[in-house]
Amino acid sequence: MAARKPIFNQHVLYDTTPLPESIPKVKELGTTSAPLMSAAFFIGARCKDYNDDFMQCKTENPGKGEFECLKEGRRVTRCARSVIKDINANCLDQFKAHWECLENNNQQMWQCRQKEWSLNKCVFDKLGLEKRIPDQPKDEVPVQFRRNQIYAHASIPITQFPYLTPSQRAEQVENLRLRDPKKAARIDLWDEQQRQKEAAEAAAAQTKA
Amino acid sequence: MPQDMPPAGGYEAVQYKRNLPTKGFRPATLLGIAGVIMGYGWYRVIKGIRERNELAREKMWGRIHLIPLLQAEEDRDLVRRHLADQAREKALLGENFKVYNSDRYVRPTFAAVPENVTE
Repeated sequence: MAARKPIFNQHVLYDTTPLPESIPKVKELGTTSAPLMSAAFFIGARCKDYNDDFMQCKTENPGKGEFECLKEGRRVTRCARSVIKDINANCLDQFKAHWECLENNNQQMWQCRQKEWSLNKCVFDKLGLEKRIPDQPKDEVPVQFRRNQIYAHASIPITQFPYLTPSQRAEQVENLRLRDPKKAARIDLWDEQQRQKEAAEAAAAQTKA
Repeated sequence: MPQDMPPAGGYEAVQYKRNLPTKGFRPATLLGIAGVIMGYGWYRVIKGIRERNELAREKMWGRIHLIPLLQAEEDRDLVRRHLADQAREKALLGENFKVYNSDRYVRPTFAAVPENVTE
């Protein structure tokens, strides 16, 4: 047994001295982990250049980056704030549903796919940001578009469809062409029919007008 | 004296096998069934491992997108504390001593706290 009693005096560790006036102010993000996790790929989509700048600055200034990279850091924070603000303004319901799902599921993305799809759709329609995971294998359905996942609590019913942005869809059809050409051909045929239908409707509307 | 001889036609066969009905599948069939079950299990395991790799990739990229902003916030806080520390040192001791023989920023191990709670 130690003779000294523990003294908990951490309350004096608070240091609220603000930054000096010479350093410009920036409002901190103030977002907790689940919303950040939910918005991570949209932050990455919009702020990639600022993020890369900041990380490059940190790499080029080892041991001094804390001071040298304040400007880049402010840009990173401002950009991330703008993303969170835009998502809150345009897709609050879907965003909230998704991050609350993450919060309730140990922040496991695979338990919240359906909510993620509706959030992705809303964010792409309103803000034009899309979730993109680099270097995924081409010979299987990417994990964020799967209905059946071994690790998920439940499968997603077949009536639900993942949301793919047009560029993502084109990419997936190209990948499908490699592993299942017949199915890809069927999709091409369907696309072609849709195009013809649309063209016919447009022509009909034109003759009417 | 006549010797004992085996009975005419020889002895009967000695029954050493158990006379029980054989139940269940043949061993080969059992092996086959076990193989099928194992095969399905391995299929699921491998599928699960591949899925987990992809989930890890997703999580890692999410984290890569978040690291700069978390680090930026942390750095600002460290700079704020460092400058406040230096100002306090100057006010108390009159000058700033160079503690480390290096220009690198060293994250403080010990905190010299203000005398009074500032919050």
